[in-house]
Amino acid sequence: MAYILNRLLSVLLTLFLISVITFAVTNILPGDVAMMIMGTQSNPEALAGLRETLGLNDPLVVQYGRWIGGLLTGDWGQSLVFKEAIGPLIAQKVVASSLIVVMSMAVALIAAIPLGVWAAVHRDRWQDSTSSTAALVGVSLPDFFWGIMLILLFARALGWLPSSGFVHPGDDFLGAIRHAFLPSLALGLGLMAHLTRMTRATMIGIMGQEFIRVARAKGLSEREVVWSYGLRNAVGPVLTVAGLQIGYLFGSIIVIESLFNFTGMGWLTYQALLNRDIPLIQSTVFVIAAVVMLTNFLVDLLYVVIDPRIRLS
Amino acid sequence: MRRFFKGKGLIGTVIVLAVLLVAVLAPLVIPDSFATQMNMRARLSGPTWEHFFGTDQLGRDLFYRVVLGAQTSIMIAGAAVLMSIVIGLPLGIVSGYFGGWIDNVLMRLVDTLLSFPALLLALTISAVLGPNLTNTIIAIGVAFTPFLARIIRGEALRVAQMPYVEAARAAGTTDAWMILRHILPNIMPAIIVQSTISLAFAILAEAGLSFLGLGTQPPEASWGLMIQASRDYLDVAPWTALVPGAAVAMTVLGLNLFGDTLRDVLDPRTET
Amino acid sequence: MTPIVRIDRLRVTFGSGADTVEAVKDVSFEIAPGETVCVVGESGSGKSVTSLSLMRLVEFDGGQIVDGRLTLNCETGPLDIATADSSAMRDLRGDEIGMIFQEPMTSLNPVFTIERQLTDGLRVHRRMSGPAARDRALELLKEVRIPEPEQRLQQYPHELSGGMRQRIVIAIAMACRPRLLIADEPTTALDVTIQAEILALINRLKRETGMAVMFITHDMAVVAQIADRVVVMYRGEVVEEGPVDQIFSDPHAAYTKSLLAAVPRLGEMRGKPAPEPLRLVGDIVDPKPLLPKADPEPLLQVSNLTTYFPVKGGPLRRHVANVHAVEDVSFTLNKGETLSLVGESGCGKSSCGRSILRLVEPTSGTVILGHQNVVDANPRDLRRLRRQMQMIFQDPFASLNPYMRLAAQVAEPLKNFGSASGTDLIDKVASLFDRVELPRDYMRRFPHQLSGGQRQRIAIARALALSPKLIIADEAVSALDVSVQAQVLNLMMELQSDLGLSFLFISHDMAVVERVSHHVAVMYQGRIVEIGPRAAVFGDPRHPYTKALMRAVPIADPSRRTFEDDLDFKPIPSPIHPLTFAAQPSQYEEITPEHKVLHIS
Repeated sequence: MAYILNRLLSVLLTLFLISVITFAVTNILPGDVAMMIMGTQSNPEALAGLRETLGLNDPLVVQYGRWIGGLLTGDWGQSLVFKEAIGPLIAQKVVASSLIVVMSMAVALIAAIPLGVWAAVHRDRWQDSTSSTAALVGVSLPDFFWGIMLILLFARALGWLPSSGFVHPGDDFLGAIRHAFLPSLALGLGLMAHLTRMTRATMIGIMGQEFIRVARAKGLSEREVVWSYGLRNAVGPVLTVAGLQIGYLFGSIIVIESLFNFTGMGWLTYQALLNRDIPLIQSTVFVIAAVVMLTNFLVDLLYVVIDPRIRLS
Repeated sequence: MRRFFKGKGLIGTVIVLAVLLVAVLAPLVIPDSFATQMNMRARLSGPTWEHFFGTDQLGRDLFYRVVLGAQTSIMIAGAAVLMSIVIGLPLGIVSGYFGGWIDNVLMRLVDTLLSFPALLLALTISAVLGPNLTNTIIAIGVAFTPFLARIIRGEALRVAQMPYVEAARAAGTTDAWMILRHILPNIMPAIIVQSTISLAFAILAEAGLSFLGLGTQPPEASWGLMIQASRDYLDVAPWTALVPGAAVAMTVLGLNLFGDTLRDVLDPRTET
Repeated sequence: MTPIVRIDRLRVTFGSGADTVEAVKDVSFEIAPGETVCVVGESGSGKSVTSLSLMRLVEFDGGQIVDGRLTLNCETGPLDIATADSSAMRDLRGDEIGMIFQEPMTSLNPVFTIERQLTDGLRVHRRMSGPAARDRALELLKEVRIPEPEQRLQQYPHELSGGMRQRIVIAIAMACRPRLLIADEPTTALDVTIQAEILALINRLKRETGMAVMFITHDMAVVAQIADRVVVMYRGEVVEEGPVDQIFSDPHAAYTKSLLAAVPRLGEMRGKPAPEPLRLVGDIVDPKPLLPKADPEPLLQVSNLTTYFPVKGGPLRRHVANVHAVEDVSFTLNKGETLSLVGESGCGKSSCGRSILRLVEPTSGTVILGHQNVVDANPRDLRRLRRQMQMIFQDPFASLNPYMRLAAQVAEPLKNFGSASGTDLIDKVASLFDRVELPRDYMRRFPHQLSGGQRQRIAIARALALSPKLIIADEAVSALDVSVQAQVLNLMMELQSDLGLSFLFISHDMAVVERVSHHVAVMYQGRIVEIGPRAAVFGDPRHPYTKALMRAVPIADPSRRTFEDDLDFKPIPSPIHPLTFAAQPSQYEEITPEHKVLHIS
């Protein structure tokens, strides 16, 4: 319990630091919100007036205080591009992105764990070289390259799946899955390759341990030794790495969602960045970093459940 | 050494050397105009004898554009990784070797930065600074720094606890000399391996940034930009995307093969 | 009587093609029911590979049985293990043959309960499950004398101490009543008191069940304690085989003789006035004892030395508790003498040595070297003081920088203090190489080109470079094979007599300590519980812990076996205390002015 309380405090501290960094990156660097709203050709007096009403002349600390105060009270401000309240906008897009992030993670884990174990068990033989080479090629291909190939194959050549757009799962569940499928696959393939490599390395380490020898010395079948004694120990480390990859996924969705016109967080962030919509940039960047950090926190908690060693200490 | 130039190590080395050679030599040998020459009558032409890899939407030769684009992509990635090492190395060593409150503060900061996806951080910096070649380097370099600082700190901490460091301290070795003679040489293998792998990631990041229009800007020719330009013509001319995409994939694969083998040879701890 | 197992011309190789390594060249011996056969040898002798071949586990490590027969006499008739198919092997493993391994800390699967791991074998070989299996598991735990067995079943390995884990591993191996138990260095990673318990346990189980035991070890003292018959191996071959008494009293093979000569035996220094080097095979002159000076002159005076390590906790890494590593330690070390700090793992002996050098910061106390206090010295003075005291570490592989030439490493201390330069420096380094008996052409080599013993010599040369008065040797010979250990010990003693060095010798090995020390301090829970001249502490131990330690040490002499059933040693309490905890000062009772024993509260 004390452990969880400690971790919660640590999470709050990190959230605070994330907000500071987000604010700093978007404010210390050059860029004028007022000019962005009114355009570069606008009249200097009107600009000055707008700066005053937006509070841009206040010291940065005051501006930060106002921003964080707004975040905490639910007033996230207005997007300059979409002319909408930022809070509801983000809430809506987070749902869309969760769909593809969860789907791609599921695809990646389901394929990567057996593949990695299989490669580790047949270490240095053809099974290992084949799957390791495939995995290495997998991590070397850019996500958008996967995306383009998937579009060409499944949408253009075969016409099986849509290549663009987002459907809300509440409206049409099957349609939502169909639309999310290709972007998820594009994200998941690279991730799968990475996790396969990770699982293989972890399993090779575990299979060299003494308790594996002891298990064999008991007369257990090789299947039980590998898939029960070995794998059970690999689950924790592999899940941790998978959790860390959430960060990578949230980076990649910016590219993939804009490629597939999938209107989620990545797409929203991209629109904000393209149009230098500073208030929206601040909020999306903060939300993404916070989600990544919180997911890792949850994975840590999950690890506590999986590994009895941490459970008690 | 013999172990290195076998199998995947050999393939990796050949690819990396080939790409480097192209990046350095191509601009010296091939006139710029080969890549910029427009030919509206041969727009989006498939691979022919005249144009090995086909042409793009302005009828420019894709083969020459890929070959000349190598320099931009490699240069940006190389400079960005160099930048992250130049910042990350002192931070990591100070943190790992001296420890204490400096370490606490630096690593709390680094951990927080690691919550920001590297690509998001790079995109944000690039967007706020205004996208161009220099800012792309800065954006990728800054985005990669926390990761490298983390790794270097871990290595420095490991080496600082080795008995030979304690023996040297007992023998009156000063901190500066200790870092120079004992810490640095022993963390070098890990840094070299990490740089190779980071280089691969940086090429991917540059491609991603340019693909989104927040990296290199035309008229520069980088691989990511070429893929971006191809997006509107995917149906009629898929090769316009596949050619530069394959170039990126090839280079990154080469670097990964090279880095993997390097790790097996130099730094056997990290992977069994 | 027909043997249980007969090994006939076994040959095992690793790797293939040009890289083939022959780990076992030609090994034959047999094991009869109810007998304990010790297979003894130094690292690389092939003893472990032989035992793994008997279980056919060697193939999982990349080994191959290329020749020979391994005949196991089962109830159904003889079976050749070398050619048996893998399903027959699975039936044998854990049923006919049980095996225990060296590392109790990693022998158990960390994510499964003890019950699950105990009942696996029963499930596979006896089709037992549910309450029946649980009852048998409980019975096994009682058999290996685990306290509170009912609770242990649901616990995980990390909740148990090393000694307990090794008992569980033994219980696992015993689950299906094997006729042969293979024990591969089962006590090497354990402290001496726990080793004694485990040896007694294996002996008792053997007596009660009539099984045969094949015991792999490098330690001649352990052999003397438990073997019926001994097989001595060297570089993949059997060099000698015979009953244990004959091996110790009348060894035939030259290798066995030299091995026995290199083993220090507890008690053999009785009646000798001072430490003396071991007489190794091939030595011509008799070793001369290192008599202390008539009027000893103190070099190092440690008073009330205390070292706590902070335990950090919480999100802000606050200081929440202390590890009491060294608690109120005082002693004096004279010029030209050796004082040993001896004790089991976690007793604070290493922290004490490192606190004296201030490689860790002591919490309080004084350390007077010459006339100056090391503890409150400023950085400049400390650097100067450290010229006079150097350290040698345990792990010969980690104590040298892998990326520096040996000459540069030995020269580094001299360079640091500008003591020598140019050709003078080269000459000095060369003479240091002579001093530790390493050829001068090793100067340009890198550490990986040396063996463990040679590296330890380099570490000694580096420590000698500044002509220090004191050398702190922290388990300096523990990682070495016994023959190499003897050579390094002899070198250290020779250096002491030639240069008048003082050693603070930190070790867990009572026999080695008896051999090298003038004075001995026994440590337990951060304190010195007994200190005095070597003859007094070893000849007339007073503190209960010292006595327990002495009783637990195996002696390399089969005629002096200790027959104690499951000695009962108490586990060491935790050294972590809250910040407010005030430790009692150490108070001593004087047996003689020099021999003191801690008051027992």
